[in-house]
Amino acid sequence: MKKIAVIGSGAGGLITSSKLAKDLYKEIKNGEVSITIFDKRTDQEFQPGYLEVAFRGTDPSKIRRPIDKLISPGVQVVHKNIEKVDLAERYVKTEGDGGEKVDFDYIVISTGASPDNDQIDGLKEANMDFHTSANKSSLIYNQVSKIKSGRIVVGIGGVPYKCPPSPNESAFMLDEYFRKAGIRDKVEITYVTPFTRIYSAETINEVIAPMYESRNIESITVFNTDTVDSKKKEITSIEGETLKYDYLYLTPPHKTAGFLKESEIVDEDGWVKVDKKDMHITTYDNGFAIGDTTNIPISKAGVEAHLEGIVVANNITGDINGTGRAYKFTGRTQCSMETGFHKATFVVGTYDRPVEKIQPSTMNYMEKKVMEKIYWSSLHGHYEWLFKHHFKEDYFEHQEPIAH
Amino acid sequence: MTTFNVDSRGTACPGPITDLLRAYKKSQNGDTIILLANDPGAVPDTKTWCEMTKNEFAGSKQVEDAFEITVKVASKKA
Repeated sequence: MKKIAVIGSGAGGLITSSKLAKDLYKEIKNGEVSITIFDKRTDQEFQPGYLEVAFRGTDPSKIRRPIDKLISPGVQVVHKNIEKVDLAERYVKTEGDGGEKVDFDYIVISTGASPDNDQIDGLKEANMDFHTSANKSSLIYNQVSKIKSGRIVVGIGGVPYKCPPSPNESAFMLDEYFRKAGIRDKVEITYVTPFTRIYSAETINEVIAPMYESRNIESITVFNTDTVDSKKKEITSIEGETLKYDYLYLTPPHKTAGFLKESEIVDEDGWVKVDKKDMHITTYDNGFAIGDTTNIPISKAGVEAHLEGIVVANNITGDINGTGRAYKFTGRTQCSMETGFHKATFVVGTYDRPVEKIQPSTMNYMEKKVMEKIYWSSLHGHYEWLFKHHFKEDYFEHQEPIAH
Repeated sequence: MTTFNVDSRGTACPGPITDLLRAYKKSQNGDTIILLANDPGAVPDTKTWCEMTKNEFAGSKQVEDAFEITVKVASKKA
């Protein structure tokens, strides 16, 4: 029997396992293949929804589902975290004293990235972020809804971080909130970024920089947050600039899953080193990593994890049924950026095509909303026809494998 | 003084600058960061970054299919 282990039940892990279960249905039924997801969590949250929770007061329970309802038929789930992966000996060990060794033939690591406030002195005490969880995001709304005046500082606290447009979205959504509340003139919104532009990709920067000006959102570039003083309510950059705040909603730098840190398969910051096209772990052919946990040079966001998961699932299936590994990830990004007042743009590019210049529109906003509606079903693979139609040649590269 | 060798080949905007920032954060004044990148935007972006942060852009040269960009760290606060 070929055993496939999937570590992590986020967007990437679930779509990979769903696709494998669908394509290897007969093999699973005949006892020739097993697919097991390992993750201690029992719920998944729709992470792009954290913005809605933080800045529009959406109930956290609305963006949460039990993992067991998201697992496709044919996939087993073990609600335990992994503390060790041994790719050479092909086993994982579950966490804790009674940790169990489980063998695998193929492994897909999809353990994501999480905010790491500890990388910046004082950040944990001072900051409220909308990247950790729905419940933490709701604490922001509790505070925002009581603000009558003052300075709110948002922006990029450090790199790398998840969902590149999200700090900009927080600025736009706060602007909308306080305009609707009729007190925008009493609330100052300041956006900080370590990059040289408001948005690092120049084409998107050209779209949103004028909006910062027209919405009266202050932007401070080349601000590399170094320390935060919660008593003085000040943040200081590596460059030596100090900024006062009344409310702080910075996006913290992110870290990889703890069990990977000492592993030989990661780079010096803990991200798994993979081939950016077929996502195999560079030193092992039977191991793959997808999504935020990798070191590939594109944004950390769910859509990438999804597209990478499809490529990996296709290639594992090809290996098992003897047709070979014929699929490659194109580096396609599709990050939506809400600009407030029912408009949005998208950050769209590939490894070979620079980011396009897309003006905000209501149609884009509706597309973003449609994705929110179909998200949970999409994890079962029900909408691959739609993604394939939408992404066209960017969905994946397919070429006949070279016969050996 | 330390030299940070940052291999950013195969990454496009904002990859090289993100990698540069990660090295910059660990560095001290007097250190050198050597950034290897094949994104054509990496050289002008690094120049702009150096001007804005008052670090020293010590030069760039073509090495095979990539640019080797040298930055001297000079403006970190004491």
